[in-house]
Amino acid sequence: MSNSRLFRRISIGSAAVWLTLFALAPNLLVLSASFLTRDEAQLIAPLLTLDNYKAILDPLFMRVLAKSLYLAAGATLICLVAGYPFAYTLARMKTRFKPLLLMLVMIPFWTNSLLRTYALIFLLKAKGLISLCLLWLGIIDKPVSFMYTETAVFIGMTYTLLPFMILPLYSSVEKLDLRLLEAAGDLGASKFKIFRHITLPLTMPGIIAGCMMVFLPALGMFYIPDLLGGGKNLLVGNFIKNQFLVSRNWPMGAAASIVLTLLMLVLVWAYHSSAKRLGKKTEGTAL
Amino acid sequence: MKRTLLIVFALACAVFAAGAARAGSGVVYVYNWTEYIPEGVIEQFSEETGIKVVYATYESNEAMYAKLKMLGNKGFDVIVPSSYFVSKMAREGMLHEIDKSKLPNFKNLDAAYLDQPFDKDNKYSVPYTWGGTGILANPGKLGTMPTKWADLWKPEYNGVLLVQDDLREVFGMALKAKGYSLNDTDPKHIEEAYKYLKKLMPSIRTFNSDSPKVPFMNEEVDAGMIWNGEAYVAMGEVPALNFVWPEEGGILWMDCMAIPAGAKNLDEAHAFINFILRPDIAKKMVEEWGYATPNKAAMALLDDDMRTSRVIFPDKATMAKSEFQDDIGDAIVIYEKYWNLLKGEQ
Amino acid sequence: MRIFWIACRLLPVYVFLYLPLAVLITFSFNSSKYSTAWKGFTWKWYAKLAANTQLVEAALNSLTIATLAASIASALGVLLAVALFRYRFKGRDLMQAGLFVLMMSPDIVMGVSLLLLFVAMGLNPGFWPLLTAHVTFCIPFVAATVYSRLKGFDPNLIEAAEDLGAGEFRTFRHVILPIIMPAVLAGWLLSFTLSMDDVIISFFVTGPDFEILPLRIFAMVKMGVKPDVNALSAIMVGITVCCVFVSHLLMRKRK
Repeated sequence: MSNSRLFRRISIGSAAVWLTLFALAPNLLVLSASFLTRDEAQLIAPLLTLDNYKAILDPLFMRVLAKSLYLAAGATLICLVAGYPFAYTLARMKTRFKPLLLMLVMIPFWTNSLLRTYALIFLLKAKGLISLCLLWLGIIDKPVSFMYTETAVFIGMTYTLLPFMILPLYSSVEKLDLRLLEAAGDLGASKFKIFRHITLPLTMPGIIAGCMMVFLPALGMFYIPDLLGGGKNLLVGNFIKNQFLVSRNWPMGAAASIVLTLLMLVLVWAYHSSAKRLGKKTEGTAL
Repeated sequence: MKRTLLIVFALACAVFAAGAARAGSGVVYVYNWTEYIPEGVIEQFSEETGIKVVYATYESNEAMYAKLKMLGNKGFDVIVPSSYFVSKMAREGMLHEIDKSKLPNFKNLDAAYLDQPFDKDNKYSVPYTWGGTGILANPGKLGTMPTKWADLWKPEYNGVLLVQDDLREVFGMALKAKGYSLNDTDPKHIEEAYKYLKKLMPSIRTFNSDSPKVPFMNEEVDAGMIWNGEAYVAMGEVPALNFVWPEEGGILWMDCMAIPAGAKNLDEAHAFINFILRPDIAKKMVEEWGYATPNKAAMALLDDDMRTSRVIFPDKATMAKSEFQDDIGDAIVIYEKYWNLLKGEQ
Repeated sequence: MRIFWIACRLLPVYVFLYLPLAVLITFSFNSSKYSTAWKGFTWKWYAKLAANTQLVEAALNSLTIATLAASIASALGVLLAVALFRYRFKGRDLMQAGLFVLMMSPDIVMGVSLLLLFVAMGLNPGFWPLLTAHVTFCIPFVAATVYSRLKGFDPNLIEAAEDLGAGEFRTFRHVILPIIMPAVLAGWLLSFTLSMDDVIISFFVTGPDFEILPLRIFAMVKMGVKPDVNALSAIMVGITVCCVFVSHLLMRKRK
C-alpha cells in the first residue's frame, strides 16, 4: 500500500514542483517586475510604481496591439479557409495512402521554421519564382515583388501555421458520423444545407481548436513580419523584445508581457467555455 | 530497465565530457557584429596560436550590451562595441583595461584614430574598423541620383527606399538633413526630426540593418541609407548602383575591440586583438568588407584603387562635414519614444 | 472525375507547402554566390558547410539539448498526464490551467520570464538554463498527447489490474505504459522538433559557451545571401524526410 502512495506522491509531486518552479515562479517574477522602476545600470530598481501600466495604456501600445491582433486574425482566417476543404477531403478519402498524405502535411512542420520562411523569400522577391513565372506567361511586363508587404506577412504566417489548423480539423472531420450526412441527403437536404446544419456544427470543436492553435502563436510572432514585412510595423512581439534588448526597459517589457498573457488567458477561457457549450469533450484533444 | 539506466548514464557522461572539453584553457570567446570578420581569419588565428576561438555574433550595440548585462560582464573575452558604446560601457565599469604591453602591433595604428574623446589614451578600447552611412542608389532605374539626405524625401523615391533599422542612424539622418548635429539632445530638435521622418515613412519599403545590401542586390529597393562597406560589396555585384556621401555629411562610427570586465581569458583576448592589428589581417578586412581601417601599416599594403576609393575612405571635405556618433546619455529615452511612435503609428 | 476534384482540393496545399522547399533545395546547387540566376551545378556550398566547424558544433549542441530535453520532458509529461488522469487532488484544476497557459504562452513572454527567474537565481545563461527552458516548454505537449491517449481507453483495465493486487508501480509499468507508449513516442518526437526549432526562448537563456543551431540559423537567415543557408536547409529537409519514412516503415512492420 505504501508503494502505491509513493507513486501517487512522486507523480503529483514532480509535476507540481516543476510547474511551480518553472511556470508559476517566472510569471510571478514578471508580474512583480512590471511594478518596479527602470534602472540603467542595474536594469531594475526596487521602486514601486504604476507608470509601466500607465505607459502601456497609452494609445500607441493599443495601436501596436490592434495591429498584432489584426495580423493574427487575418492569418487564422486564411488558414481556416485554406485548411478546411483540404482537411475535409483528406479525412473523407478512402485510400491506403491517407497516413502518408497526412504525414506530408507534417514534414514541413518538422523542418526549421526560419529556414522555411527564408525559402518563401525565393518565391516572393522581385527576381523570385512567382515574378519570373508571371513574366514568362506575359501577365506582367516588369518584375513584381511581393516582399515587404502585408500580403507577404500573411503568406509567411499561413505557411508556418497551416499544419496546426489542418490537424485538429482533420481529426474532427474523421470523427464525423457519416450516417447523419446520408440521412440528411436521403431526406432531400441540399449539399449546402447539410454542410451548414450538420457538418459545420459537428466540426466546430476542430475549427475552434485549430483557430486557437494558429491565432495564439501568430500573436507573439515577430521574425516573420521582420523578414517578410520589412520591419515597418511595430508588433507586440517586437515591442516586448525591444523593451528587453534595445531600450533595456525591463519593467515596461514585463508590463507588456503581463498584458499579453492576460489577453491570452481571456482567449483560452473563452475557448474553454465555448467548448463546454458545444458539449464536446475537447478536454481530451487540448487538455 | 537496466537499458534505460545505461542510456541515461551514457547521456550524462556525454554532457559532462562536453562541458569538460570546454573548460580547458587556450580559448577565447569573441562576440562580434555579424559579417564583420573575413573568412579564414579565425582559422588562421587558431592555427598560428593554438588558441581556440568561440565566435558569436550580434546585430546591434544594444543587443550586445543587453546580453553582457544579463551575463554580468562575463562570458566573452573580446567584444566590438561602437565608439559611443565604449564610453558608456567604460563609465559603467563594464570594460577591462587594455594592457598595451601585450599588443606589439598597436604601433601599426594611425595616431589620427587614437586618443579620441570617447576613450582618452585608449584605456579601454582598440580601433577595429571605421566607416560611415551614406546614400546608395540605382540612378539607372530612378532616372536621378540623390546627392543629399533631404533628397530622399522627394516624391520620386516613394516606395523604393531602404533605411537602417536603427534609431540612432535614422534620427541621425533626419537631424543632419535639418541641419542639426546627429548627436543632438535637444528634445525640440528630436521632435522636429520625428515629424520630418513621419513624412518619409510612406516612401520606405523596408527597414534593414542586418544586411542592407541584400534588398539592393535583389533590386527590391532603389535608394536608401547604407553603411559604406555594405555599399561597396553591393556595387561589386550590381554595377548599376552608385554611392554618395550626402552633402549634409555622413554618419560616421568607429568600432573598437574591448575586453569585458569579467573576461576570464585575458592573455588570449590580447593575443586575438594583437592578431587583428597585424597589417595583413587588417588589409583582408578592408578587402572583404569594404570598411576603412585605422591601421596605417595596412594602408600601405592596399591596392591603389582600394586606397583611393572614396566609398571606403571619404575625402577631407566629406570628413569635415560628417560627424562621429557619440553617447547621448539620457536623451536616448526621447529618441526611443519617437522611434516607437514612428513605427507604431503605421 | 472524383479524383480530379479531390486533387483540386489537395494539390494546391501540397504545392504551397513544398514549392518553396523545392526551390530552396534546387538553388543550393547553384554556383552563383549572390544572384538568383542559374550559373551551373556545384557541390561547393555543402563542402563549405561541412568545413564550418562552428556550425557543426552548434548542430551537435542542438542535438544534445533536443535529445535530453525531449527525454526529460517525456518522463515528466507522462507522470503529469497519469497524475491528472488517475488522481483527484487539491490544485488539480490549477495544474491543468497552468499547463494550458504554458502551452499557449507566447515564446517571447516565456523567454523573458525564464530569464528573469535565472537571473534571480544567480544562474548564468548557458547549458543548464537552456535545458531547463526546453524541458519546460516541451512538457505540456507531451502531457497533452499522453492524456488524450489515456482518455481514449478503458479505465476498467486499470481497475482490473488493481483488483488483481498489482501495486501502483506495477500497474503503471505493465498496464499503463504499454498503452500510452505510442503517445509518448509522438510526444517525444514533437518535443524534439520544438527544441530544434526554438529561437526566441533560447536566445534569452543560452550563453556564449553553448551556441545552438537555431540561433546560428537565425543569424544566417537574417544575413540571407549566401547559398550555404540553402544547403543547410536542404540537409535539414533531407534528414526530416528520412526520419519520417524510417519511423513510418517501423510502425508498419510492428503492425
